[in-house]
Amino acid sequence: MTTLEHADIRRILPHRHPVLLVDRVLEIEPGARIVTTKAVTGSEPCYAGLDENLPSAAYAYPVSLLVESFGQSGAVLWLHSAALKDEPVEGTLIFGSARDVTITGSACPGDVLRHIVEIDRIIGDNAFMRGETWVGDVRIATLGSVLAVVRDGLASDDS
Amino acid sequence: MSRRFAAPLDAVDTADGAVSAGGTRIEAVKRIVADDPYLGGHYPDFTIYPGVFTIESVHQTVRRWAAERYGPGTAVELTSIASVSFAAPLLPGDTMSIGCDMTSQDDPSSVRVKARCHRADGALAARMTLGLRIDREGGHDDA
Repeated sequence: MTTLEHADIRRILPHRHPVLLVDRVLEIEPGARIVTTKAVTGSEPCYAGLDENLPSAAYAYPVSLLVESFGQSGAVLWLHSAALKDEPVEGTLIFGSARDVTITGSACPGDVLRHIVEIDRIIGDNAFMRGETWVGDVRIATLGSVLAVVRDGLASDDS
Repeated sequence: MSRRFAAPLDAVDTADGAVSAGGTRIEAVKRIVADDPYLGGHYPDFTIYPGVFTIESVHQTVRRWAAERYGPGTAVELTSIASVSFAAPLLPGDTMSIGCDMTSQDDPSSVRVKARCHRADGALAARMTLGLRIDREGGHDDA
């Protein structure tokens, strides 16, 4: 079983601070499955500027960022697997679509998100994935289908 | 600006709602600004509003509406994304208009929102169907 450290993730993903939302790869089976972690901390920008004396629920990690973190984990699996096969994927990585996402729990500062992502199928520059997000032994999200896409010509400078 | 919930950015500038027999229609606007939080990393060499932030924009549209209707302590949780798809990219300088049609489910605290996000040039940027739970507990005022 291969693992990837943060330096490897930065070579694979174009995202940067503070929207690089994968910290470490615990397991990767190229072309098939990945397990990643993302630590949630109170020092992230999403916790800036909050009112005082809010209930605990106010500190729930935003679902938008949770889904992004899941999608980035899947992108690591896809792009790394393609590079291993010497078929690198070129272009701008974007989130194409998602279906059947159910949020059943939440994460707060101090928690570690653990994403388990499986590739369903890859059609050209489209990768269909699905999986789950856990905090400890609690599943907090189920993602039925997430589509990552690579597109040409989005950047104004295509060099 | 202070907030009552964790969020990557202020994903809505203005929001207005109207209730009719068929449900509630909420319209909102968000101007895409390159120096908003998180956008500097997406991506360093050119900026594109992340697709998931349109989900955040719709979520915050409903939060705004619920806070006005039920009081500032009202919590609005995102419970499901039945579907979301992203089309035209949103770049700095674009203005996104968000149209939400909200209907109540059997349980009145749970609502379904169908939303479409358009650029000023009319291009569809995103469409989605979300499930949300509106928890009025903690809202002091029902006015």
